[in-house]
Amino acid sequence: MQWTLQYEETWLHRLNPAFKLIFFLSLFLILLFVHNPNVISNLTLVPLLLVLFATGHRRKVIVLLLIPFLILFFSSASSMMFFGQGTTTWWKWGIIHITEESFFRGLHIGFRALNFALLGLLFALTTRPVFLFYSLIQQLKVPPRFAYSFMAAVRILPVMVEEFQQLRAALLIRGVKKKKGLQRVTQSIMLYAVPLLSQSIRRAHRIAVAMEAKQFNNKERTYYYKQTYSKVDIYFVLYIMAGFGLAYWVGHTFPYFGITDVRN
Amino acid sequence: MKVGVSNLRVKYAGAETLLFNKLSLHIKEGEKVLFLGPSGCGKSTLLQILSGLIPNAVPVPMKADEVAIPESSGVVFQDPDSQFCMPYVDEEIAFVLENCAVPQTEMKSFIHHYLMKVGLNFEDPHVEISSLSQGMKQRLAIASMLALEPEVIFLDEPTALLDPEGTSEVWKTIKQLNAKQTMIIVEHKIDEVIHFVDRIVLFDSEGKIIADADPESVFSFYKPKLKEYGIWYPGVWTDHKQDENLPAPYEKGQQLMSISQLQGYRGKSSKIEVSDVTAYEGEWIAVTGKNGAGKSSFLLSLMNVMKTSGTKRVRDKVLKTIKASREQLAFVFQNPEFQFITNSVYDELVYSLEMLEDKGVEKVRNWLEAYDLYHVKDLHPYQLSTGQKRRLSVGTAMFGTQPVLLLDEPTFGQDASNTFKLLALFEELRTEGMLIIMVTHDEMIVHNYATREWVIQEGKLIEDRKRERREKGERHAMDFTV
Repeated sequence: MQWTLQYEETWLHRLNPAFKLIFFLSLFLILLFVHNPNVISNLTLVPLLLVLFATGHRRKVIVLLLIPFLILFFSSASSMMFFGQGTTTWWKWGIIHITEESFFRGLHIGFRALNFALLGLLFALTTRPVFLFYSLIQQLKVPPRFAYSFMAAVRILPVMVEEFQQLRAALLIRGVKKKKGLQRVTQSIMLYAVPLLSQSIRRAHRIAVAMEAKQFNNKERTYYYKQTYSKVDIYFVLYIMAGFGLAYWVGHTFPYFGITDVRN
Repeated sequence: MKVGVSNLRVKYAGAETLLFNKLSLHIKEGEKVLFLGPSGCGKSTLLQILSGLIPNAVPVPMKADEVAIPESSGVVFQDPDSQFCMPYVDEEIAFVLENCAVPQTEMKSFIHHYLMKVGLNFEDPHVEISSLSQGMKQRLAIASMLALEPEVIFLDEPTALLDPEGTSEVWKTIKQLNAKQTMIIVEHKIDEVIHFVDRIVLFDSEGKIIADADPESVFSFYKPKLKEYGIWYPGVWTDHKQDENLPAPYEKGQQLMSISQLQGYRGKSSKIEVSDVTAYEGEWIAVTGKNGAGKSSFLLSLMNVMKTSGTKRVRDKVLKTIKASREQLAFVFQNPEFQFITNSVYDELVYSLEMLEDKGVEKVRNWLEAYDLYHVKDLHPYQLSTGQKRRLSVGTAMFGTQPVLLLDEPTFGQDASNTFKLLALFEELRTEGMLIIMVTHDEMIVHNYATREWVIQEGKLIEDRKRERREKGERHAMDFTV
């Protein structure tokens, strides 16, 4: 079965993975301190442009991946809009109470969620796990024994998906008497978790022994891939800084919404 | 003396007896030694002790007067899917080179060198491991083991989970390695190794050495033991046929099953296409074809687990739903563990029976006694041995009154005695009028047991051959005696 996506390598793939990780985490932090809906809606464009045009993945794949994020946007926005507090009532029906304040707060939360999601997607689409772990070892001095264990674990995931499918077919064929209500949940956990976990634990043990047999230890080691910083990292920082600056300037100079701070 | 132990004593946690008691064994430089013995006799444990994995990587309590392990050892394990930690071929070998602190600039040429040694000639070795066949994966495992430049090579049933094609591929690779290389091999299927090794060490079920000699002597003096221990020795099929005395070709029974214009889909793509076939009571149909040809999809389509079109009929019943299929077709999966849903052997059968307690008890008991599982009836199914698991999975599948038995490689990875026991069980069911449809890679089973063969190629049933069961005692080209 084909599990990996085909893509063209772009300049985003050449960013240093560890640097990218830290940089994205700090962007998440910065986003938490943006309270102006004008600014955050503009900010969304910054990662969106990259996701749409610079990841090197096929358009179809990107569109498919964006669907859940749009749902996330609407669900997080609407829950805040419908049930939030506020003084200027627009619409009230039962427990649903939309006010001007809650509407903009909802919109703001929605955009923030979308921003997080797009940045996360950008990271996931342009970072090979293997390079990330090599970079974590080389730049952030993560001990190799942790990093290589994670790489081995990433490799097991598709095998687990395949096993899950086989197990599902086996259970369908044997015919399971479905229990009702909450018991149904515990029943399916038992039916799936026990065989999948027991397989995985044994597999993990075998891989661990195989790794030791290949002389994996805490001694001095060399690396097949050398992860370094490059000009691309600077371009990326410049792009983000310019994008964020522009978003901030436009948001303040040409506001579309009357509210400039959703906390009030 | 290069590798060896003196007066070795080993005990697994919770076990009542010692696995090895005062065992001594020494292997000289350049020797190629094969360990033989019944499952569970400790061959693999001994191999791991001699390679130094026990107790360094796997803590097992052991004592010995002397343990001589090689300075460097390379081990190839049984399961092709659980010995790699990296996703790509080049990265996996690089992992070994990294461990040995080989400078990065030299890695590319080393990777090329070791891949050439095992005949994996990729133009660019950056190939996903998951896209390789099982035989190729084992060859990659050999290549990455060679990258350690080991003094002694240890092979722990390297072909137990491979089909015949993969098996000969792997042995061919091993045979063309350096002739002076010291090797210690544990293997059950010994057709291909027997002329390669210099020495055979035969263990009994208590882990005692009962023979330690050259292959010819072991064969002439200990053949009954090899048979008892379920080893696939050359000529095992000839002997089996003499013992078993299989009935001559069947008489055609009543028409039982008919399939017309069957197609099975995964998503939108058609995985299997079968136009028109009929099958009769008392037939044993072997479904053969390459890996990924669509054999398993065929069985899953019959069960309606995949989306299908066309009709399937057993007697006058049309099989449209999973439930309808389940009532007519008993299905045995390749991995028996996936079929178990309760916490004890006994409950598994009761569950299948879906009967009232008092009515079921006798039937379950009888079945367990007949299949030699009654003494383990309270164990969790996972605690059984592989042969027992397989028998139980057959039991759970066909405890009803289904007239058709579908088997997905039921003898895969089993030793000879388990295989023959299973085949005897299926044969008994067949003579009672059951229709058996069995996916298998094993040519010998097709030759000796099947009455008909369906060949599947690229998702299509392309051939429907009648098979004559061979006459008793007839020798096959693959068989030979030493």
